[in-house]
This record gives sequence, C-alpha cells and structure tokens, in this order.
Amino acid sequence: MQDAAVLKGTNDGYEIILDDEADLNDVFAALRKLLKKLETQTATGSSQPIAFDIQTGLRLWSADNRSEIEKIFSKFQLFSVHKIISDVITKEESARILEQESVHILDRVIRNGQIIHIQGDVLFLGKIHEGGKLIVGGNVYVLGDVHGVIQAGYPDLEDKMIIGDVHNAQQVRIGEQHEILDDTNQKITENTVVYVNDLHVLDYGKVEDLKQINPKFFNQIGGVING
Amino acid sequence: MGKAYVITSGKGGVGKTTSSANIGTALAMLGKKVCLMDLDIGLRNLDVVLGLDNRIMYDIVDVASGRASLGQALVKDKRFDDLLYLLPAAQNTDKTALTQDQVVQIVNEIKPDFDYVLIDCPAGIEQGFMNAIAGADCAIIVTTPEISAVRDADRVVGLLEQHPLKEEPHLIINRIRTHMMKDGSVMDVDEITHHLGVALLGIIFDDDAVITTSNQGEPVVLQADDPAGQGYRDIARRLEGESVPLMQMKDEVHPSFWKKIGNWFKKG
Repeated sequence: MQDAAVLKGTNDGYEIILDDEADLNDVFAALRKLLKKLETQTATGSSQPIAFDIQTGLRLWSADNRSEIEKIFSKFQLFSVHKIISDVITKEESARILEQESVHILDRVIRNGQIIHIQGDVLFLGKIHEGGKLIVGGNVYVLGDVHGVIQAGYPDLEDKMIIGDVHNAQQVRIGEQHEILDDTNQKITENTVVYVNDLHVLDYGKVEDLKQINPKFFNQIGGVING
Repeated sequence: MGKAYVITSGKGGVGKTTSSANIGTALAMLGKKVCLMDLDIGLRNLDVVLGLDNRIMYDIVDVASGRASLGQALVKDKRFDDLLYLLPAAQNTDKTALTQDQVVQIVNEIKPDFDYVLIDCPAGIEQGFMNAIAGADCAIIVTTPEISAVRDADRVVGLLEQHPLKEEPHLIINRIRTHMMKDGSVMDVDEITHHLGVALLGIIFDDDAVITTSNQGEPVVLQADDPAGQGYRDIARRLEGESVPLMQMKDEVHPSFWKKIGNWFKKG
C-alpha cells in the first residue's frame, strides 16, 4: 500500500503529498515516520534547514488538524512548513471570494442616512443622495450620480480606486484616506481616477493615465487573488 | 373599510398638522367620513387647528390603556354632521406611552366605520414615527422647498423603503413661494419630485390665510377662493381618484407702469 505521506521533489523545493483518502491518524503517523526517516538521512549530509510545501489534496482540513501538522514539524529542528496547499475550500469561503472578486452592479437610490456596504468591486449606476453612503471593499466604477459619500477599499485597502464622475460627491474615501471635496480645488471631471499615491495621500488622475497610476490593476482582472 | 394614511415629513414645522387638518376637512366636504388621529403625543395641536381643543374628554393613550372606549375618546366636528372626527393625542405623557401594536389595534378598530383615517405623525424618526407608520396603508410625505426639509423627506422615504407600507408614498410640497421658485433661489416642484422619486400628490402655495384661519380653529379649505385651500381641496379630490391638474404658478399681481397710468384715466 502506498504511504499516506509521500515526499516529492519539485522545481521549487520539496513537497509532501498527504493522501486525502487515508484515515487522518494514518496520515499523521505516516508524516511522522517520513520526517524521521528524512532526518536520519540528512543528519549525515548537510544541515541546511528545509521548508516543505504540504499538499493536502481534496480533503478539507480544519484549523485544529492544520496545527497538528505544525506540531509534528516542530519536533524536527531542520524542517518547517512553507505552506499548506489544498485543492478544496468551504462553500462559505468560496462565496466570500466570489463576492470579493466579482463586480457587483448596483442600480438604486441611496438616500440620506442610508449606508450600503458591499464587498468586492461595484459598478454604480444609481444615485447617491446627499447624506447617503456607499461603502465598498474593492474598486468603485461610477456611471451614476454621486452627491453623497463614496468609499473604496473599505476598511483599509489603499490600492483600490474610484473611477468615474464624483465631482458632486460630498466626500471620497479610499482605505483610511478621505477628502472633503469642498476643500479641494483639484479639478474633477467625469473621467477621474481617485487613488492613493505613494505618499499615502488621495490623488486625482485621468482614466487615460490609469496604467501609470496603478499598473497592477490590469493584472488583477479575471483572477482569484486571495484564494 | 377605510384606508389609513400617515402624514409625515421627518422635519418639524413643514405643515404636517395643518395638512392633516385641511385634507381631513376637504375629504369631509366631499362627503367622506374621516377620522383624524393625532399621534404627536406630548405636543398635541391638531385639535387646536381644528378648533376642537375645548371638547376633548379622553385621548389616544386612554384608549390604548383601556381607560376609555374609542367612542368616548373620538371628538366630533359639529360643522360636518357626522363626517369628521378627531382622536386626540395625550399631553401629559410622551411618545413611548404607545406601542406599535396598540396603534395598529386602534387603527383597525377605527377603519371599518370610516372612509379615511389620517394619522398625524410627530416630527423625528424615532418611536413616534414608527408608531405612526405602523398602522398606515400609505404615507403622505410633506416637504417644503427648503433643502433641509427635502433632505429629511429623503431620509423618511429611505425609512419607508425599509418598512414598506401597502402602497407607494405620495408627496405634498408645501409653502411654495412663487417668486422664489421662479427666480431659482429654491428647488422647483419638478426638481424636488424628481430628486425624491415620489409621486406628487399636490402643491400648496404659501399663504398668510393658512395661519390666520388655523389661529381661529377653522381650516383654510373652508375659504372658497383661497389658493392654499384650493390646493388642499385638489389633494382631497386626487385621493378620491379624480384627475385634477396641478395648480399653475401665477405671478403676483403687479400692474405694469402703463396700466397704472391707464387706470388714472379710467377713474377720471
């Protein structure tokens, strides 16, 4: 029978593949056995520390079980866990990622006193009345009419942007930076990009210059980053 | 079975009570049976505007707590045979004296015997407001062309979206001063209606007679040729399902220079 823990060399280093169909206790036992064997083999050779990637396959690992792996490794001085890679995530987590990574189309009136929270990016087609707030975790693309407060990158992501016409807004906020538009004399047109610059200050640019303002922005579209 | 309307605004002093009294009276003039409910507990004055303050025996808190029956507490307006009644607010307690359930129960008790129940909502958006909208089928939002009133109306529309009533709300724009609206120093009727996104039920022109009549305890609708009274009568007809065109904004009458000179000769 194949062992429940198998060592494999890859281009980036070493990987331990844990059998996702074996009993958990067998997996831990096999891992212990494997590491012990490796220790005796390496003791004679170099004494360089080695970090392993742990591949857990189609089994969903709880936090407790993950810490059990760490515990086993902690008994071996030279070995450590680089990262644990799993092929599966919970439905909850996948929903969260989906929410965070998709562009939500929002077409409604946000009235005085109303606060709308959305995770992920938002394409805003509606209207924010004076005193209304739109609080978004990702970027905001504005095609509607904003007279209230608009925030991107809530609560603290400063690499997010607000793109579109916000010249009527009361305040723009990105992450922890905010600006009261009455106090700024920057000219904001309908093609404005509001972003946080290298000095951590809110700045305004043109959509044409988006590539210079945030080169990473275009790489991000279409991929799951926080998976 | 009657229909319950709540007259609300968020902001104080925009004419909720005056509008309640006048719309109620106008509906009674059309032969409808109307019950006005004053929920502005602690600061009641719907009875004063109607000139019924001297006839109050019991109030709504007495009814809710079982100290009096509904029939004992309702005050009849003798000017309209058997058509206009008032359920007065209490004065010696505050807005927390009633619960939403109690209001719903009272409204349901009134509805079968009347065509309209008009609930006069207190200013603010706290429990008094929640009580007032709890029993209503539809809201009438009163605002004036001032930004502060429109902002508060916007807030109220938002709250009504969270606690939807059976029917979509209606809007009344009160205290319109023609010259200010014409010269653009305040928002105009279309702007306000469009901004709030609420169907317009009527407009009321600012008029000194509203104050003088309410001081006498006689709603302005009873004045046949008064523009504010006309506005309220139009609103009552629209509630009855008639289609009545919006009143036109006429310029205040300033005879031209040449006409004035012409008038001298006529006199001669």
